[in-house]
Amino acid sequence: MNFGVLCNLILFAAASQAAPDRDLLPPDGFLQAWNRSEKARVFTSSDLYGHIDGGAEIFLEFGFEQLTVQSYTATKGQPGEIQVEIYRMKDALAAAGIYLASCGRESPDPSFPERHTLNDYQLIFKRNRHYVIVNNMEGDKALRAAMLAFARHIAERLPPEVPIGLDDALPRAGLDRSSIRLIRGPYALQAVYTLGEGDILQLRGRVTAVSGTYRGAQGKYALIVADYPDDALARRAFEHVRKNLDPYLTIVEAGDMNIRFKDHAGGYGEITLQGRRLTIRTPQFR
Amino acid sequence: MRRNRYRSIEDRSRIDRREFVGALGLCSAAAGGAVLGIPLFGQERPESAKVETNIGDFMRVPKTRYSLPGPFPGVVVKVTDPRSLQAGVFDGKAIAAMVEKGITGLTGKDMKRSFDLFFDKRDIVGLKVNPVGPPLINTRPEVVDAVIEWLVRCGLPRDNIVIWDRFDYMLADAGFTPLRFPGVRIEGLQTMDERGNRWRDKDGRHVSIGNFDTDVYYYAKGVVGKGVRGYKDDEFYLNQHVFNGEYSYFGKLVTRRLTKIINLAAYKNTGSGISMATKNLGYGSLCNTGRLHDPLFFNVCTEVLAAPVIRDKLVLNITDGLRGQYDGGPDKNAQFVYDNHSLYFATDPFALDMMCHRELMAKRREMDRPVNEHPRFTEYLHYAERLGLGVANPDRIELRKVAV
Repeated sequence: MNFGVLCNLILFAAASQAAPDRDLLPPDGFLQAWNRSEKARVFTSSDLYGHIDGGAEIFLEFGFEQLTVQSYTATKGQPGEIQVEIYRMKDALAAAGIYLASCGRESPDPSFPERHTLNDYQLIFKRNRHYVIVNNMEGDKALRAAMLAFARHIAERLPPEVPIGLDDALPRAGLDRSSIRLIRGPYALQAVYTLGEGDILQLRGRVTAVSGTYRGAQGKYALIVADYPDDALARRAFEHVRKNLDPYLTIVEAGDMNIRFKDHAGGYGEITLQGRRLTIRTPQFR
Repeated sequence: MRRNRYRSIEDRSRIDRREFVGALGLCSAAAGGAVLGIPLFGQERPESAKVETNIGDFMRVPKTRYSLPGPFPGVVVKVTDPRSLQAGVFDGKAIAAMVEKGITGLTGKDMKRSFDLFFDKRDIVGLKVNPVGPPLINTRPEVVDAVIEWLVRCGLPRDNIVIWDRFDYMLADAGFTPLRFPGVRIEGLQTMDERGNRWRDKDGRHVSIGNFDTDVYYYAKGVVGKGVRGYKDDEFYLNQHVFNGEYSYFGKLVTRRLTKIINLAAYKNTGSGISMATKNLGYGSLCNTGRLHDPLFFNVCTEVLAAPVIRDKLVLNITDGLRGQYDGGPDKNAQFVYDNHSLYFATDPFALDMMCHRELMAKRREMDRPVNEHPRFTEYLHYAERLGLGVANPDRIELRKVAV
């Protein structure tokens, strides 16, 4: 299936599946061991900075709707605190974008079917348009089973997962699959490469680009692929990049459909326009 | 332009009460090179967006014997001991020994003489911690214990020590409580109501407004805290930032009470850069900072440290790298946290940050995370060098490694 069409389908599906996120939370007495220690806190896109001190920008850029935070303490005088953070994003691509930026090298538990990673302190997973963190505040290994149970309880109440079609956009040969990232604006792009100020690719939070690292004969480099809704928008983005290319990048060759540039370290990169697709090949990583 | 009262801290008799009227109109991005005429390292620097700030006022104030970069410009001591953190448990005794090795390794003097180099017994010493990201990636209380023990052993009264940060609730969340640190003062510059609806007093003013010194500020022309992306409205911005105009006021704790500062940063990233020594003070010692991220971001870390109230009081920086976080920062992300078993010491925070930036990027490469090598992520450190505040050229930084 075409990547862009799939994006639109996901948007539609997400819009029809909204639910109050407090209902997703485990109740008091969960596992006969955990009680809520305070009233759930809910943050919207307008006050996310109240919960995340640094790092909220990337959530807003991908499309964030609501965060529900609930802490639990163990009953029977046992130590331990578990905190659940449920991020409801605009769509499944937004949740995937946050997850891929956050998961690192995944270390999943085979008993939990959702895409996730688990360590002593955190279990993070994504399902449909939700991105969920289960925090084990003290990092107590004995609480791993409880973390998984919290995650299962929430996952079972979420809409079914939907495919996001990442494989369609990136060539497979040489791709390091663990490096795949999604990009909807400057904050996510900056993690991969700096092409210029602001929304240099003119993604406007609506077009989702995908990036991945490749291991070539000469070393590693990244490919960034953005599929725009039509040829005209892709052309407009191409021209915007050409006119606003980062001052540390020098254009060494420019055609109607192609720009070759040199970066501050002497590496060469390339921007190519093909129909409604813009492809950026970064210089080799040092 | 409003009045201000920037002054050197040491030589009060000569310039106390002196007021500088009017900004010089220097552009923050151009100030170092344009004023001092010193070329950049390695390459021509492209023009970047300019925002007029009051860095010129700061730079006109004469330096003192305590001013940055301190007695050891360009020197960074890294002390590593695997016993400091094992199976998630921090060893206070091992950490205290690392602190001693770091300080003596930096100064070349014993602990008493090192104390005398930086302090006298009348000083009010502020320990600026980073409480963001507990329990994984905040400044560890064990490191703070070791520093307090040093200061007290050398004759500083316990109640002359203030553990501080910008936000009071974060200090408590990270374990900096009176119960944990008896006899030591613990102060946040401000309160922030996490629920966003109980921060005004009966007169409608922010309850923390009196904690900031409206005579001492960082100014950024045309950059205001109104309509800033990510804030529900200007009310919520005010809750978190107390003021929303063109001025970011320093906390009165910093301007009026502290006579020396020890900077105890955490070891972590923010995006493709780092959030360590210079950011800990650059964004932690004053209010109304949300407005600054987009137009100035890292340059704030340089220009705020150039303010005499920081420049002339900040005598020692210790970056707590017992744990490190190479991605997902500045808040905690356990996927990217690792045991690093190291503490870093410097009087020069810019050399310290440059060294730690390079280390953290190397870690990202090792872990196959994206590394954006764009110079924008370290330009602010070179800018500090041009201002004479520190050393950023890696070739001129001396890294002393001490293994325990």
